[in-house]
Amino acid sequence: MWSSSHNPIALLVSGLIALSLPECHGDDDAAFFEARIRPLLIRHCIQCHGPKKQEGGLRLDTRRGWLSGGDRGAAIVPDAPDKSLLITAVSYSDSDLRMPPEKQLSDQEIRDLSDWIRNGAFDPRLTDEQPKQRMSLDEARDFWSFQPLKRPAVPENQNDQWSRTAIDTFIMAGLQNKGLTPVTDADRRTLIRRATFDLTGMPPTAEEIRAFLNDESPDAFASLVDRLLSSPAYGERWGRHWLDVARYADTAGDGADYPVREAVKYRDWVIRAFNRDQPFDEFVREQIAGDILATQGPRALYADRVTATGFLAIGKRYGYKASPDYQHLDFADVIDSVGRSLMGLSIGCARCHDHKYDPISAEDYYALYGIFQSTKWAFPGGEEQKRPAHFPALVPPDEAAGLEQAKKNQLAKVDSQLMALSQEKSALDPATRGGGPDLDIEAQKSGERPGDPWVCSGPIEVTPNAQSPFTHVHPAGKQGVRLGSGQPTDGLRYVFSNGLRATPGKKMHFTVDFRPVAGATEEGAFRFYLGRGVVQSLAIECSATSTEFALRNGTQWETIRRLTPGTWYTLQVTIDPHSKTYSGVVGTRDDLTAFTDRKTGPSWDGIADCFICDAFGHIPGAACARDIDNLGLQSEPFASVDSPPVQPSTVAPDARARLAEIQAQVEKLKAQRKKLAVADVYPVAYAVSEDKPVNASLQHRGEPHRTGNEVARRNLHVLGGDSLRDPHVSGRLDLANWLTRPTNPLTARVFVNRVWQWHFGRGIVPTASDFGSRGTPPTHPELLDWLTVQFIESGWSVKSLHRLILSSRTWQLSSAAHAGNLVTDPSNNWYWRHSRRALDAESVRDGMLAVSGNLERTIPGPHPFPPVNTWGFTIHHPFHAVYDSNHRSVYLMVQRNRRHPYLALFDAADPNQSVAGRQPTTTPTQALYLMNSPFVHEQARGFASRILQVPGNDETRLRWAFETAHGRIPDQVVLDDAQAFVEIYRSRLENDEQSDANQTAAWSALARVLLTGNGFLFVD
Amino acid sequence: MLPPASRREFLSRASGGFGALALAGMLNEQAVAGENPLAPRRGHHVARADRVIFLYSTGGTSHIDTFNYRPQLASDHGKSITASRWLNKSGEFKRFLIRPRYKFQQHGQNGAWVSELFPQLASVIDDVCVLNAMHCESDGHDKATLAAHTGSAQFARPSAGSWVSYGLGTVNQNLPSFMVLAPAAPYAGAQTWASDFLPACHQGTHVVPGKEPLPNIRPRVSDPELQKLELGLLDRINRSHLRDRAADQALDARIRSFETAFGMQREAPEAFDLSQETEATLKLYGVEREATSGFGWQCLVARRLAERGVRFLELIDVGSNSNWDSHGNMADHERLAKAIDQPVAGLLTDLKQRGMLDRTLVVWTTEFGRTPFNQKADHPGREHHNLCFSSWMAGGGIKGGLVHGESDEYGIRTANNAVHTHDLHATMLHLLGINHEHLTYRHAGRDYRLTDVAGRIVQEIIS
Repeated sequence: MWSSSHNPIALLVSGLIALSLPECHGDDDAAFFEARIRPLLIRHCIQCHGPKKQEGGLRLDTRRGWLSGGDRGAAIVPDAPDKSLLITAVSYSDSDLRMPPEKQLSDQEIRDLSDWIRNGAFDPRLTDEQPKQRMSLDEARDFWSFQPLKRPAVPENQNDQWSRTAIDTFIMAGLQNKGLTPVTDADRRTLIRRATFDLTGMPPTAEEIRAFLNDESPDAFASLVDRLLSSPAYGERWGRHWLDVARYADTAGDGADYPVREAVKYRDWVIRAFNRDQPFDEFVREQIAGDILATQGPRALYADRVTATGFLAIGKRYGYKASPDYQHLDFADVIDSVGRSLMGLSIGCARCHDHKYDPISAEDYYALYGIFQSTKWAFPGGEEQKRPAHFPALVPPDEAAGLEQAKKNQLAKVDSQLMALSQEKSALDPATRGGGPDLDIEAQKSGERPGDPWVCSGPIEVTPNAQSPFTHVHPAGKQGVRLGSGQPTDGLRYVFSNGLRATPGKKMHFTVDFRPVAGATEEGAFRFYLGRGVVQSLAIECSATSTEFALRNGTQWETIRRLTPGTWYTLQVTIDPHSKTYSGVVGTRDDLTAFTDRKTGPSWDGIADCFICDAFGHIPGAACARDIDNLGLQSEPFASVDSPPVQPSTVAPDARARLAEIQAQVEKLKAQRKKLAVADVYPVAYAVSEDKPVNASLQHRGEPHRTGNEVARRNLHVLGGDSLRDPHVSGRLDLANWLTRPTNPLTARVFVNRVWQWHFGRGIVPTASDFGSRGTPPTHPELLDWLTVQFIESGWSVKSLHRLILSSRTWQLSSAAHAGNLVTDPSNNWYWRHSRRALDAESVRDGMLAVSGNLERTIPGPHPFPPVNTWGFTIHHPFHAVYDSNHRSVYLMVQRNRRHPYLALFDAADPNQSVAGRQPTTTPTQALYLMNSPFVHEQARGFASRILQVPGNDETRLRWAFETAHGRIPDQVVLDDAQAFVEIYRSRLENDEQSDANQTAAWSALARVLLTGNGFLFVD
Repeated sequence: MLPPASRREFLSRASGGFGALALAGMLNEQAVAGENPLAPRRGHHVARADRVIFLYSTGGTSHIDTFNYRPQLASDHGKSITASRWLNKSGEFKRFLIRPRYKFQQHGQNGAWVSELFPQLASVIDDVCVLNAMHCESDGHDKATLAAHTGSAQFARPSAGSWVSYGLGTVNQNLPSFMVLAPAAPYAGAQTWASDFLPACHQGTHVVPGKEPLPNIRPRVSDPELQKLELGLLDRINRSHLRDRAADQALDARIRSFETAFGMQREAPEAFDLSQETEATLKLYGVEREATSGFGWQCLVARRLAERGVRFLELIDVGSNSNWDSHGNMADHERLAKAIDQPVAGLLTDLKQRGMLDRTLVVWTTEFGRTPFNQKADHPGREHHNLCFSSWMAGGGIKGGLVHGESDEYGIRTANNAVHTHDLHATMLHLLGINHEHLTYRHAGRDYRLTDVAGRIVQEIIS
């Protein structure tokens, strides 16, 4: 936006510059520019189109700026004011381009600009006044994070008696450099509590603590670490870390926030991957291109690999429909997430323009964009399309096709059984012929629209006024249907539960009575359609206005006869599916018109199961109101129009038993069919698959409809700029390989730094998702590289990395304070101690559940979402649920838009974007939860009942309780205080002191104190 | 046994413990770990207001039927125009002008035009500055709602209330700094009042009107003496734990949070209890005695919370359905206006009577306006319109009785003195003593602001 702020300094400066004009231009031009143009540009334009901001990509502070122009092209064409966008903008002639936006320039100012341009647009401002800040590709070669990895020498220091491992020597070098002294080592109780929470997210039990304290072997700690790493709880803890980075949620995140039933498959895959120590490079490759790797075998890994690409699909969605038109923001999410989570680069910043600081161009961005645009995304459901779509199968395509065919065959078998029963029934009970009397119109409520199985649109009414006078097919009834609207799409539809299909030797017979209402004058036509489904395969089509009746003969309309408004007509058609012809009569009893051998729809597939009356007839325009009645469809001929009236029929007594049997069988088969029809043919995942490969076009300012040049899919230039090996596929496999090849300087470094951060609370690079120039550089770059090289050499084994880090003396330091160090390095950036940390949301909850004995250790099944066929969520009525459970918190249903109240309160990851690190806070609303929530009281009760089961006296119980909750036993003063508390609490209760209820209440109060105390909520 | 910690001890620790903060203007620096991030701070310059009451009408209130009187829209009713946008699409659309459904009259000493939808508000219009040339980028509910609250239509960002809490802290440590009184979440849900990357103590505390407005506020231990006993033991055990872990401010912060929570248990229910309010006051807000919901209840509770030092109060009138989104029939505006007119006028009157209006900035806005045109001249509804809409401000530092900004003759586009949502935010912060360009937070490699890279202080409306 241009501002109209006044700048007296600018005027003064312009005066000074006027004294040193270039000589080659006429003094007039220069003087005019300085007197009129420069001040004008400064006053009205430069604030938004200058060194600070470049709205619309345009700069007006240099000649080159306006020559190259902004998103819309050059702003000024010298000598041609009428071709200059600048003039268009200031003259306010284009409503979409009005500058300055707040207030139009004065007439004089506009004239000045025009004159200036007409005279050649002399501009002495030849160079940029501000150097470009963005890092060039050359400069990137020298930037630390883009340097190739190499193993640094481990510092050697003869005087270093402190270090136990290579990690320690790097840390000690840093400490010495800063004049810091490491504190003492942590004691064993601290170590086992720290290691257990760190690796499993749960507290050690009193028994585990005792066992560790009593283990005198030299490798006691290593065994402890091994035990923890092989516990299934390890994957639940470290998988959760990855889910933060992967922005995991169980809902889609657009306004309606659709549930995603299959999300848990990705979550469980992540947990399993950590538990089996899947090499991290493979872990990454599968998340980017698992579906492609799956096709390369083996079969046993197919489902897991497809599931892994949930990493891409699981982000916040913006769309309403399963269409790429709505997906540019989904792509923005995935590019930003892949950049931050795997590469530590804010690639997302290059969406609207080249990255302002890092060596990533907008072309780089759209090169990756093309890769994701060539990918088909599972669609979770959304406001406009309320059902999931494109979820890839977890079985290979041939197997999937086989399963689909098998399902079709099963359905066909049930259908043919149903058909046989229906024919037998018709034979026994005349009333069921042709769909029963009037297709149940007689059974409908008068004065209303026909209900199920009829489907209506527009004004339609069941009424006695629409009863047909004909009685040759059905007995005389009481009512018919009046269709009141001439709108083409209004009408009604009937789907026959057992339609007819072409059967050798059998024909199909259809009949309907109809009447254009008296006095009708509309000229448009209504029609009768008969065929398969909603105009999926057309058998016959008849059409009528108030005055004429026509048939579709093949592809041609053919007028058959005249009609008179207010007169009832009957239509009988016999279709021969084998010759694809039909014949019949239409008219009144005394005035019948016959037609023969007309052609059915040319591509009719031989199935007739749907009747429609709407107004897409042979003559366009509004159709007249009409009545219809006495419909029928069957494989036997109907009685001729001149037959005597049909009497209400009765079933022969001996057929009744068989009819009841048939009815039971039909119901059973129908239920079976329904179940079969909705059953999943094969399991699917919320994941991605290959789509048509395309290159994306550059989007100006990230707006998808303002496109520029096409950009070929390729790697980022700063990471090599490699082209695709095969442009006929999406390129995701290439991307996966570029990310994990040994020469990629980022992926392994970024992940190793994350692991370090999850162990220490702070990364060697504190900005774990930003390794670019705006991130914070590493405190210990050599250590990071050394660890990364070790990691890669270990086969990208995450568990080996844990062992390496936990065995260091650095990790095993106590959290003690040190007065001198606190002055020099209060934030412990140099690791002179182990920083004490607050437990995260999951650990608080899981810890309470574990201590209370209420923790459910199994892996839960799918979330209890409402059935998919009931989904109608919209932005106005979004999906929302909170499901209680006693499983570990990683299994809670994570909702994206309305967050889980507990997880939100305790700062769990916000799933709207990739989270580099939790931001723990301490708020009174959390304290209220700890004091008064039903959950905490419930767990305290559980804990109390466990305490009361401990044999011995109250002090023994107290010791066990403290050890279980805090990992240690406090000094005697505190124990005495706690014991006195229990006694006083009991005595204050009104009931008999010794009652069980009092006992439980008093110990529950103590349990709450222990579970909400800092000894529980923090880890030293 | 050691004596239980008393409430007085709690309070003295809260104000004088090592968590207390020197009142330094250190807005540019991130809080040091453990320091009370909610301690009151001074802004960058002298403030004109101490607190904000932010009123938000969900769905998009029509500007041309409320505050922006366009007589030519009435006289050109039925004429066709070419609209450049329609239902979020650019292009050229032949549409028909539709006259305002509601009658306008001039009110107050300066003759500000207000429609018949807001008769009570019209009676106090001399305290209000109407902004008739508001505009924003998006005409989708989610995006425009987020833009009105966070300055960003697209990405998750902290809400204005979080920024103010982060910048200024709060004076009453027994109540949250940023509270949201809303019967239902607007579009974009809780993201509307999220602190996002700012520390979570700055997030809005959502209060759902009803019987239990603050979850877990009621002690589950029914005997207060027993709860005190329990919290006393907790405090002593925590202090014993702290003694072995000298100078860890995070541990202290957690201890302090229990003190505040304990204070909230007592003070928050009292703040929400309207039984001491006089009949006259209840009537002023249009509140029935015993009511626990309704916009009058929200406004009255807001005043009580403002009196008790809450820094930023947001009041949302309706959620993401049955709101001002009158596509089908503008007659629905009548019901919605009626629900807030008396309460809002009552709030302004009451604040003024109590001498609080001078130091309380009251803002009313909505996500966007509604189209002055539609597909047919007789269409009873209006669509989303972000190119021009109306908001208003009142109280601390605002010139009352002013109408600022003008649209074109039909209310389609802003004509002069346009105010963008970024400008509204910049002006709010300015009046609170904060320079919107200097209230920043380093996140993901860059410094973020409420006003992104824009925002102009609307000096013309400042008294």
